This record gives sequence, C-alpha cells and structure tokens, in this order.
Amino acid sequence: MDFINKHIRFLLLPLLLFGTSLLVLGVHAAEHLDVRIITIDVVTNLCLAAILSRLLAWRIRLYPTKVLSILHANFLAFFAVIILFGLSEFLLNHILLKKDLSYQVYIDQTKYIRFLSSWLSLGWLAHTTVLVKRQADFKRDIELHQNATISLREAELFRLRQQLQPHFLYNSLNSINALILIDAERAQEMVGRLSDFLRLSVRRETQEQTNVLDELTYIESYLCIESLRFGDRLNVVIDKAGDDVDAAALPAFILQPILENAIKFGLYGNVGKVLIKIQIQLKDQLLHITIENPFDSTVQTPRGTGFGLEGIRRRLQLLYARADLLEIQKTENTFTTIIQIPQ
Amino acid sequence: MYKVIVIDDEPLARELIKSLLKNYPDFEIVDACADGFDAFKSIQQHNPDLIFLDIQMPKINGFELLEMLDKPPAVIFTTAFDDYALKAFEAHAVDYLLKPITRERFDKAIQKCMHQALYSNVASVQNMLQEQVYEGYQHRIVVKDKGNIRIIPSDDIHYIEANDDYVKIVTKDASFLKKSTLGHIEQTLDPSLFVRIHRSYLMPVKQLLRIEPYEKNSHIALLHCGMKIAVSQTGMARLKSLLGW
Repeated sequence: MDFINKHIRFLLLPLLLFGTSLLVLGVHAAEHLDVRIITIDVVTNLCLAAILSRLLAWRIRLYPTKVLSILHANFLAFFAVIILFGLSEFLLNHILLKKDLSYQVYIDQTKYIRFLSSWLSLGWLAHTTVLVKRQADFKRDIELHQNATISLREAELFRLRQQLQPHFLYNSLNSINALILIDAERAQEMVGRLSDFLRLSVRRETQEQTNVLDELTYIESYLCIESLRFGDRLNVVIDKAGDDVDAAALPAFILQPILENAIKFGLYGNVGKVLIKIQIQLKDQLLHITIENPFDSTVQTPRGTGFGLEGIRRRLQLLYARADLLEIQKTENTFTTIIQIPQ
Repeated sequence: MYKVIVIDDEPLARELIKSLLKNYPDFEIVDACADGFDAFKSIQQHNPDLIFLDIQMPKINGFELLEMLDKPPAVIFTTAFDDYALKAFEAHAVDYLLKPITRERFDKAIQKCMHQALYSNVASVQNMLQEQVYEGYQHRIVVKDKGNIRIIPSDDIHYIEANDDYVKIVTKDASFLKKSTLGHIEQTLDPSLFVRIHRSYLMPVKQLLRIEPYEKNSHIALLHCGMKIAVSQTGMARLKSLLGW
C-alpha cells in the first residue's frame, strides 16, 4: 500500500491521462489511419513518458518558496516534453515505422495539441512531486525539532543526575561512617569536604557557564574526597598553560563527569597506583582540555560511563552546534578524553 | 570460629567492616583484599567461611570472582548503588548490605548468618550466579588458568563448547575450562555477536566462514580458525534470523 502511494499514484494518473489523450487525438485527427500506427505511437510515447517522469521526479528540488519550486518543476517538465518528442519521433520515424507516410501526416496534424497535452500531464506530475517532497520536508523538520527537544531534555536530566551522583555520595558517606569509628577527627574533615563539594554543586545549579578557576576549585573539592576514599592509589596532576586560562569560560558540569570517568576507568582497570593527567590550554580562541588516564582494554567498562561521555558530547553539540568538540583516543593502556570549548 | 575475608577496593570501606565486626568474637578477619586477583589467592589460601564482597572492583568484579571459586564461601555483598544487582539479590534472598553501612543493618546480616547455616547462603548465591546478574552484556569471560585468573576478551573467542559440568572456551592460542553451563555463558554475552548454533556449541558470528550441508536436516559450520562445528536445526534458524538470510 505504501509503495502504491509513493510511486504509482503519482505516475499512473498523469500517464493514463496522457495515454488516453493521445489515443483520442490520434483517432480524431486521422480517420484513415490504421489502428497499428496509433497503438505503436501510444505505447512508445507512454514508455518514454514513464521513464522521463521518473527522471523528472528525481531532478526536482525544493526552493524556499512554493512559486519558485513550481516554476522550476514546470521548467523541467518543458524540457522533458521536448526530449520526449524528439525521442519518440526519432524512434517511430526511423526504427519502428520506417518512414511510414501516413504516420508523418498523422504527426503533422496532431503536433501542437500533443505538445500541449504532454506538457500538461508531465507538468501535473512535476507539481505533485513538488508537493510530496514539500510534505516529506515538513515531516522531517518536525521530527528533527522533536528529536532536538528530546535530547535537550535528556541533557538536562543528565545534568541533574550528574549533580546528584548517588554512587559517589553513598560511597563517601560509607567512608565517613568508617572514619567515625576509627578516626573521629578525620571524619569531621571529610564531612567538611563533602559539604564544600555539595555547597559548590548547589551554587552552580543555576549556572550555565563557569570559568576555569571556579571549575578547578570545584574539581579539587571533589578530588579531596576521592583521595580520602581511595587513599594513595589516586594521583591527579593538573597542568595549566598560561594565566589567561583561569578566566576562560566553560559550561558548568562538563569537566567533573569526564574526570569521574577517568577515575573510574583508572581505578577499575588497575590494581596499583593510578595517575590522571589534566592539561588545560587556551589556543586560537579554543579552550583545550585533555584528560589522560591509564586504562586496560580488557576490563569491563564500569557501568554508566558510556552514557557519561555520550551525554557530554550531546551537551556540547547543543551548546555550540558542533559535533567535533569531544574526542576520545584509546590506546592499549591509556584513555584520553579531549574537549574543546569555543570562547 | 568463623573465618572472614573482607574484599573492597576502598580502604575505609574495609576498615568499616573490620570495626563493625569487632563486636562478634566468633568472627575472625583473616585477610582484607583490595581487588579480585588478591582476593582469589587469599580465598584459596585461607578457605574462609564468609566473605564481605564489593561488586565494583578493579580488574574483575565481585560476581566474576565468585564464578572462579571451586568451593565458594558464604557471601554478604556490599554495594552502594546498583539497581540491577539489588533485584538479583532480592530475588534469590542473598544477603547484602547497602552503603553507607549502618550498625543496625550490619548486625541483622550477621545474625542471619549465625542463625541460618552458612551453606544455605552458599546455595542461594550459586543459584543467583546461574542467572543474569548484570545489566546489559559482558564483553569478556574470566577463567581460571593454572591457579591464576585470566580475562578473555570476547573478541578473542573462537568458539565455546559444552563439556559436562564445564564449558571449554577456545581462543587463538589456548583453550580454557570454566565451571559453568553454556546456557549461562550464552546469557551473559551479547546475542548480536554470539549465536548458539548447537546444543553444545556457542560461537561468535564473526568467526563464521561458511556453512555446508551435512546429512539430512543438519549443517556444518566452517570457522575462520579451521574448526568444523555441527549446526542443529534450531541453530540454523537462529543463525538465519541473526544474519537476516
């Protein structure tokens, strides 16, 4: 049913019209002609028209305004008719009917009216094609818009989830629980750090943009807790190139999930100590942030990490309309995430 | 006197369990391990009655560790947040502790262990491991190789053969035996990459070179590694639907 809708309806109707008009014209114009010539003429013309109309439908493209599209379609239809005429005359005259005199008379008599009817039917076909294409265009636009809305909502949801980080929170509380029993003073310190982190998270909740200095303060409060949790296994080195980097802008909650990813990959892929390197550079109005962590390709990705990076890619795409801002490089034992933030 | 091993990658989490267990003189902590490799050796050495086991750990996770053990001890899982695993625990009445671990919950879990014989715990954990405990699919199989743990990436597998109580996992340079069923392995691997072509054979689709007819109603699969494997009628149907023939 879909196939008929798509291809046949728009071809069959004009072609039927075209065929019958040819037939009627032929019979009217030359009573003395035999049926053979009319039949051959009609069949040949129909076949050619079918091929041409298909080509016509492919060539038609859309212009911003309807008038332009329709003019373009009619222009193409006009050429199609000329080609149709040339081809059919050549075929009938030289190959199929071998310069039959009665055919030439018939052709002469019906030339103009045939041209008109052919143009009308092919023009109609071109019109419908334009309309169908416009409709498809609209549909695609609507879908695109819907998808964009959905991904925006997903990104927003992801941001919220990033702020909550239940896994991180529960594990930190568990560490505090342990410290209460073994070292009350350090427990207090950890509570302090965790509240610092949470306070910064809450303050940033409404912020879309932040700068490198603020982001690094936030990251450090996060790393403080992580280093308490994992002891001396975790080492993070931050390397900033230049002073003007501090003021560079970046979207809130972009860096921290990547770092969390790096820590997870690093800690779950390795048994011993783990070094994570962060490089921040400002170059050609682009803020480059490179995060490198050790990684073992045979180890199962910790759950949730795939979505983490995917979510960041989507957020960057929504914010800057560029798909190339997040880059991932994997070697056998290092995993590097590179993000670029236009300034 | 019960022998206990605590397995968690976070030092403070291990300390917490140690402190909480001080109230129970019947339980003696013989070791604490930070990763699955270490734990595997320690369990074989000490033969504990009970282990506290974190699920997310470096290299191999808690479930994979348990699969490696010939004589698994009783287990109390400790986890912060894993909906999928929690459902599995609930379904099989396996003991678990949610982090942050409170004394109240901890006491309950220990009481339960002391009152119920530990072997009922062992049985329920074993039952649970026969089913799918992971969300999504695994991309590797962890096996024991001459007393060591070996991680086989699923890309390296040529085929897997059922072998009584064991499965034989064949890779480019070696084959490994693992105590499991083919059905279980099939469940954990990605069904778009692996296909059960026979009651006794599971193979990665990318290994398939060609299929030849063999007797009535059956076929033979020729693999890139040169191996020939029987294809059953249902296996053929699965292969067809997977490859879209």
